[in-house]
Amino acid sequence: MRESKGYSLMNKFSHIYVEQKALSHPVTGYILERFPRAVKVEIQHYKDVFNRPHQDYRRQKDSPKLILAVKQEPFLYQGPEVCEDFGNDDFYYASCVLNCLYDCDYCYLQGLYNSANIVVFVNIGDFFEAVGKCLEYGSLYLCISYDTDLLALEGIVPYASKWIEFAGRKQNLTIELRTKSANYGAIRGLKPVEQVVLAWSVSPQEVARRYERQVPPLETRLLAAKAAAEDGWQVRLCFEPVLRIKNWQKIYADFVDNVFATIPADGIFDANIGIFRMNKEQFKRISRSRLDTDIFAQSMMHSDKGVMSYAEDGQMKDFMYRQLARYLPEEKIYV
Amino acid sequence: MIYVVAALPWEARPIVERHKLKRDDGCKFFPLFKGNGMYLIVSGIGKMASAIATTYLLAGVNTDQGVAIVNIGVCGAASQKHSIGTPVLIHRIVDYETGREYYPDILLEHPFVEGSIATHNRLVRQKDVDSGQIQLCADFVDMEASGFFQAASKFLSPHQIYIIKIIGDYLEADNFDKSEIVGLITEAMDKIDGFLEQIEIYCKPNEPIFSDDELGQLEDIKKRLRLTVTQGHQLVELARRYKLRAGKPLPDLSDIVVEEVKIKAEGRKAFERIKRILTDE
Repeated sequence: MRESKGYSLMNKFSHIYVEQKALSHPVTGYILERFPRAVKVEIQHYKDVFNRPHQDYRRQKDSPKLILAVKQEPFLYQGPEVCEDFGNDDFYYASCVLNCLYDCDYCYLQGLYNSANIVVFVNIGDFFEAVGKCLEYGSLYLCISYDTDLLALEGIVPYASKWIEFAGRKQNLTIELRTKSANYGAIRGLKPVEQVVLAWSVSPQEVARRYERQVPPLETRLLAAKAAAEDGWQVRLCFEPVLRIKNWQKIYADFVDNVFATIPADGIFDANIGIFRMNKEQFKRISRSRLDTDIFAQSMMHSDKGVMSYAEDGQMKDFMYRQLARYLPEEKIYV
Repeated sequence: MIYVVAALPWEARPIVERHKLKRDDGCKFFPLFKGNGMYLIVSGIGKMASAIATTYLLAGVNTDQGVAIVNIGVCGAASQKHSIGTPVLIHRIVDYETGREYYPDILLEHPFVEGSIATHNRLVRQKDVDSGQIQLCADFVDMEASGFFQAASKFLSPHQIYIIKIIGDYLEADNFDKSEIVGLITEAMDKIDGFLEQIEIYCKPNEPIFSDDELGQLEDIKKRLRLTVTQGHQLVELARRYKLRAGKPLPDLSDIVVEEVKIKAEGRKAFERIKRILTDE
């Protein structure tokens, strides 16, 4: 219970909505055991809760609930153009969880979904099966932590480790596990596998403090990434979203120095730069509802493909590239 | 503002008395009571009646101004797990006839038992359950909740809609004793009131982005510069973004907007200057 301003909010995951089809699934049992005091509410279909009209995303972030459901096909989606494919043609993503524990002002999820509640698809085996079938036709580069942060959720549902163990048994598969979490300890016991890239999204402390609520501070994220690199994992650093804040050049230049002062550059598998960008419709939807952040009040332009970004997008990329190039070879930097 | 929907006058009476609500004689269609940040309507029995009364209450309301609605009444309990008079906060509503389900958001701590409710078109009695005429599909039964919720969710977010039921019987009653119902609801009023206070605070809107002075200034600019409706929207949006970015009040634009322009071209020119000022920060 959290008290503030004359009302008391329910704890996170005070209620767990469970699809009837998911009731007898072992993952459901595992999660329910972790929340013995949660109120269990049986539902017919996850969309009956997740897609209700007029939900208030901000209010729900005050006390998000869990929804346990069974995902129907498709299990894999083609990678979106706005996301870096790191030179992979066979770029797909899978969403075995929808929504995130964290609450970043700039996050596209608040424009993508009607609800801040977190959906966990309990039939993870069906995702693995779909990947297995896909691999029969060739290689696959799969991002498994786009619409969520799986490592942050590892204490609730151990999907990051399940994916890593699965990937370790497959050939021609590369998975990217992207995170802002410092929860590396949760997977530290696993043997590093070359099919897995652990990708940490990092932002300057000024950005993290102001725009990344409930996210571990930069320093602890960097230490987690460093420990992973030292243990032999392929560690990717994602410098995104780069935000055009006041004195952004100085802040980001210092930040890059700080990152590589903590993590030796030769321990980094690769890195990418992503300037803030967002689908125009999602941007419009979020900017209407967010009166507590200046992110969506900045001057932006939209491309022919309907992607909003800063007019100085190119200049910002060049600047960030120059900063990273002081530490990493060209072939390791993706823009 | 808290809106309350009760089906029967004796379900409403304890709330009316506790909050000293006054009858609004201007309402010809329903018994409507108001006072001290609360409206209460007596809908009559049944989900259709509840939906109509709920719509009547909310249709003219500015829902951005901190509103919540609560259905309060008695219900039947499918089991004897909880005693008669126990107040229940509903987290799942099943419309028995259509099979559709509805879910309010439960974001606030509360002092109630929680449960699901099935709304039926007619009174549910244990003998109908025993004979197989009716299948129980929830912890509690009533005749209003699904209609209330469907109507309310047309206007409000699920965190603004609440259903509080007081267990009146274990499906054995054919007729309810009015004074018993009044007694049961009166007993639960302390808990209900404490919760309503929390809801009222929680559902208050965020601080508006513009002060009254700023709103006046924007309206004045629109009028003096003879802006079109579209330009007016642009002005407000630019001003909104300015405030979010700069984190300070709107700049004084009075030297640009001195007097009402005679021709639209002058207005456009001045508007361009304002746009530059509001985007430069």
